[in-house]
Amino acid sequence: MDDYNETPVQFGPDGSLIGIITTPGDGPMAPVACILMNMGAIHRIGPRRANVKLARQMAARGISSIRVDLAGLGDSRPASETADFRTQAVLDVQAAMNLVGTMLGVHRFVLIGLCSGAHNGLSVAVADPRLVGLLMFDGPNFPGRRARWERSLRRALADPRPGAFFGRVLGVLRRTLSPQQQQPAGNQNIFDSTGPRDSAEYFCRSMNLLAERGVATMMFFTGSVQAKDRRRDLLGPFGKEPFARQLEYRFAPEIDHGLTSQASQQAFMNLVCDWALRVIHGDGSTPAQAVAAGGHAGRGARPSTTLAIKLEHASS
Amino acid sequence: MTPMLFGPPQRRLFGLFHPPERERDIAVLICAPFGQEMVRTHRLFRVLSDRLARAGVAVLRFDCHGTGDSSGDDTDGDLDGWRRDVCTAHEELHRLSAPRRIVWLGSRLGATLAVLAARSGRSDPSKVILWDPIVDGARYLDAMREKHVSALEASYWIPDRAWRRRLADDKDAYTDELLGFAVSPTLRNQLRALTPQSLQLTASHETVVLADPEDEDANRWARMQAERQIPVRLSPFQHSLVWTSDPFPNSAMVPAEALQRLVAEING
Repeated sequence: MDDYNETPVQFGPDGSLIGIITTPGDGPMAPVACILMNMGAIHRIGPRRANVKLARQMAARGISSIRVDLAGLGDSRPASETADFRTQAVLDVQAAMNLVGTMLGVHRFVLIGLCSGAHNGLSVAVADPRLVGLLMFDGPNFPGRRARWERSLRRALADPRPGAFFGRVLGVLRRTLSPQQQQPAGNQNIFDSTGPRDSAEYFCRSMNLLAERGVATMMFFTGSVQAKDRRRDLLGPFGKEPFARQLEYRFAPEIDHGLTSQASQQAFMNLVCDWALRVIHGDGSTPAQAVAAGGHAGRGARPSTTLAIKLEHASS
Repeated sequence: MTPMLFGPPQRRLFGLFHPPERERDIAVLICAPFGQEMVRTHRLFRVLSDRLARAGVAVLRFDCHGTGDSSGDDTDGDLDGWRRDVCTAHEELHRLSAPRRIVWLGSRLGATLAVLAARSGRSDPSKVILWDPIVDGARYLDAMREKHVSALEASYWIPDRAWRRRLADDKDAYTDELLGFAVSPTLRNQLRALTPQSLQLTASHETVVLADPEDEDANRWARMQAERQIPVRLSPFQHSLVWTSDPFPNSAMVPAEALQRLVAEING
């Protein structure tokens, strides 16, 4: 007997979005569900199938989830509207939350955003109060000059190739002195933009807003970003902002951005599941206690596991 | 496009059916590669399926047990089970599209599974297209574990030199987790037992092998099958798709030449 049930869903405007809802196979359902989505251009299963594994591990702990392809990614069709990618991502996640609300009776959510998903997740959290938790995995980061210099130097020192050390040190100096390095650092990919919602100011304002609203936030960085973290180095100038006091910050050098090894994946799963359980249950109570304490989702709200369900754009 | 689950309750398979937009007599079953190569080709096969459906071809894409969105853990996957999954998917596509004739398109390990499934006699594809098939499992394992270490080195800010030393010193190193996808001892043994001699086509359908002229294993294997009087056509095909890369910039996700060639072979 599996610890989970899964239902493929087709939803959103014109049924253009594709996702999978995972619910616990047995026992009570937590009153908060989890949203998983694309990392870069990888379809909804996530890097190394991480979203699938995470969804099933969460279901075994009583947490339902939806993993979804945003418009134009994976199996979802491009949006018919002309919104920019970030705005469309917010609309798509809201459609997913509407669907879960309709199908499971769950109306509060945590979002696990990997890489580009972290940037999208931040915009969703700002726009929609149904989000009560946001985990950003290798998302926005703002290392200062000292941290950038140190991480580059560490890599230069670790390079075994002859002459590599001097070449890399020269590169470090060149980049450190370059005016371009005054820009916030980050993982540059095709989903990065230079729009207003990618600025350091937007990040800081948004994070403070979420802190005021009591949204649980975690910034989770891996050994792909840097080798050592001294004092929340990747927060850079924002370490003394009000949100930083509530923020959970985790640097896990044993994990890599692409979750390439099984050990990396397992460490990631444990950390994320534990965080989600803490956010959902607060005091570490079990899903059963949480449901008894006021959650209104239960087995009766479960969907059929045999048929894909087409829904028109569900309204909240 | 319709997402669905099909197959027996203990082995539910996730599939996406692309209904044809006009009448023709052909349907296509796509057998995807394994692991990171499956992730890498997802977009290509989605675009290919859309294009075929517009041209009147019914298409079913699916994930084998323990892969993608289908049930099961990584380690539940094995060649015998996956071969049966191909046959189950064939039956599902037949149910959805009969009386159309069904063409199989398999790539990499998916092509190998197509050969094994066709040989089982449970299904009756009218044509099988094999794109860069894996015909030597031991070599495939070796190549994948080398790529696994390369991926680790590219991913960490400071790579660990011990990874490459272990790769050189231990022939089993990393064969239990190829590019992040766990491999059971059963699957590993099945892959090691897979040789060009053990993988044999049947004469019950036409076969096309699309292979890079530099892929000596696949070319030699196809010629060997032809010598057995099997109806097989070897067709040289070079493309820019990097099977194991992440879908990032400077690495085409849907190479035009691959798309055009596959459409032509299916329609041909």
